[in-house]
Amino acid sequence: MDRFFKIITQSIKAIHSFKLRTFFCLISVALGISSITVIVAATEGAYKKAFEIVARFGPDSLLILGGGEEARAVGERQKTITLDDIEAIKETFDSAYLVVPMTAMREITVSYKDKKYQTLIVGSTSDYSLAWSWPVVEGSDFTEDDVNGLKNVGLIGQYLVKELFGNENPVGKYVLIKTIPVQIVGVLSERGTSPAGENLDDRIVIPITTLMRKLENETKYVRALRVRFMDQENLYNHIEELRAFLRKRHGIPGGEPDDFTIISPKEIIKFLVALTGSLVIFLGITGVISLIVAGFVLANLFLLSVRERTNEIGIRRAVGAKKRDILFQFLCESVILTTVGGFTGFIIAIFASRLLKYIAEFPIHFSWKAFVVGLFLSWVIGIGFGLQPAKRAADLKPIEAVRR
Amino acid sequence: MPLCLMENIRKIYRIGDIQVEILKGINLTIERGEFVAIMGTSGSGKTTLMNIIGCLDTASSGRYVLADREVSTLTDDELSQIRNEHVGFVFQNFYLFPYATVLENVLLPTLYTGYAGARQDSAKKRAIELLKLIGLEGRSRFRPNQLSGGEQQRVAIARALVNEPDLLLADEPTGQLDSKTASEIMDILSRMNKQGKTVVVVTHDPHIAEYARRIIYIKDGLIFE
Repeated sequence: MDRFFKIITQSIKAIHSFKLRTFFCLISVALGISSITVIVAATEGAYKKAFEIVARFGPDSLLILGGGEEARAVGERQKTITLDDIEAIKETFDSAYLVVPMTAMREITVSYKDKKYQTLIVGSTSDYSLAWSWPVVEGSDFTEDDVNGLKNVGLIGQYLVKELFGNENPVGKYVLIKTIPVQIVGVLSERGTSPAGENLDDRIVIPITTLMRKLENETKYVRALRVRFMDQENLYNHIEELRAFLRKRHGIPGGEPDDFTIISPKEIIKFLVALTGSLVIFLGITGVISLIVAGFVLANLFLLSVRERTNEIGIRRAVGAKKRDILFQFLCESVILTTVGGFTGFIIAIFASRLLKYIAEFPIHFSWKAFVVGLFLSWVIGIGFGLQPAKRAADLKPIEAVRR
Repeated sequence: MPLCLMENIRKIYRIGDIQVEILKGINLTIERGEFVAIMGTSGSGKTTLMNIIGCLDTASSGRYVLADREVSTLTDDELSQIRNEHVGFVFQNFYLFPYATVLENVLLPTLYTGYAGARQDSAKKRAIELLKLIGLEGRSRFRPNQLSGGEQQRVAIARALVNEPDLLLADEPTGQLDSKTASEIMDILSRMNKQGKTVVVVTHDPHIAEYARRIIYIKDGLIFE
């Protein structure tokens, strides 16, 4: 054991004395490790964000949109889901504890006193806040009676509060939606932006009946449907059941595509991963290439160093160093170098990710995982690319190494 | 038993298809406490002989016993250990490590002994004593490039002696030095010999060989006395 410590000391001395080699090895490894660390952190950040969004979306929830998958913007989707569909789902699916219809109108002018603002008007039931786990923080929610009675009441998002009311308390005040006066009864909690970058706090939620009859002149169709199940573990079975159920109700013959789209938490993760995936792949390729380059730089500089230090190796062998002592010394040199390179890379990565966050608002999350992956890879590089030169050093014949 | 016993040692090098027989059956006995000079022109095989004596190289055939160990059958690791415990080398080019201090250079062989604790401390004490003996006790923290050639070679001698080997092997130890410094080095080797160390010097210089009490000539792979 003592022998190993002494040899490690020798390695450290050599690293210290061959400064140029040390510098280049360090830089190349650090750059490689830093990009890998950023990737790990970015991937982690993306997943963390995805799970946050799923948690907000509700892991037991589905969102059913009218119109097929041939992706149109939400506001322009075909309306295919009817109020009757909703009643039927409520009756058929026992474990669905919330079935909440929604419909929405975009860019509707809302005014309060002399202020005007174009916003999103959502029509839903009194379960809206529950369905989206989106609490009312001031005032109160509207009630089932409000929905049944087509009352002119509404909940308002935080952003819109600032736009229309400034510092005034909006609860109890009346706003005009188009020409209809609506009393604000509650304020929704702040929710931030959607994954697509939409400001979620810019909206007014009113009873769906009020919106359909008084603003849309619609009696049958809604835009979307939110369903939450008590048995979260069966969520993916329920998707299939719902699909079959709706296809049958809508009379879609086999082979034809659905006229609705079911969005599940899985779908959301897929979307988010695709969103960050391309950047991760790009960084991944760059990172792996730079690590391989770092490895070759290391290996070459070490081979050069072995050649330069032939006499050193010879004299060590002559005074009694075994092959494995030489191998161990050179491997130590390489691993110590790459470890220091790894740490340096980690520090670079932290700064680089700040920059990345600043430029692209990219979700980056540093944890021990990124650090461990970086450290582990630096060891892999140190051993992988240091082994060959170290072996060459160990295999030098002592008599050849002291000749000259 | 003598310290070194060689019976019919042969060394053959193969360079491509050509075989060169460097040593053609050497019989040699060196007793403990001897001071031997091996003389010969370059290419005579004297360095090869020295390498085999010092276990840096192995013979192609023949029997060699060093310090009661049958060397011909040992593995590379065992040979390393023999060199570490029984042999001290001094080379023409000193081969000190430029990035280590004088004291660290002297202590190099003790890295590979597995000494720990008290024995390590005693090794350090011995190294300092040796530096005193060669008159460099004030330079233990110097780097080799701050020393003259003669001083560097003295450090190399101290390094060779730090593990208290049975045999001190010097290959042209004065080849890089002027005659005055050379005689200083040879005086040190003589002194070591008088203190009981077995010394073998390889040289082509008759003046150097004069220091030895026994001279062996090597020519065309065979020895004469």
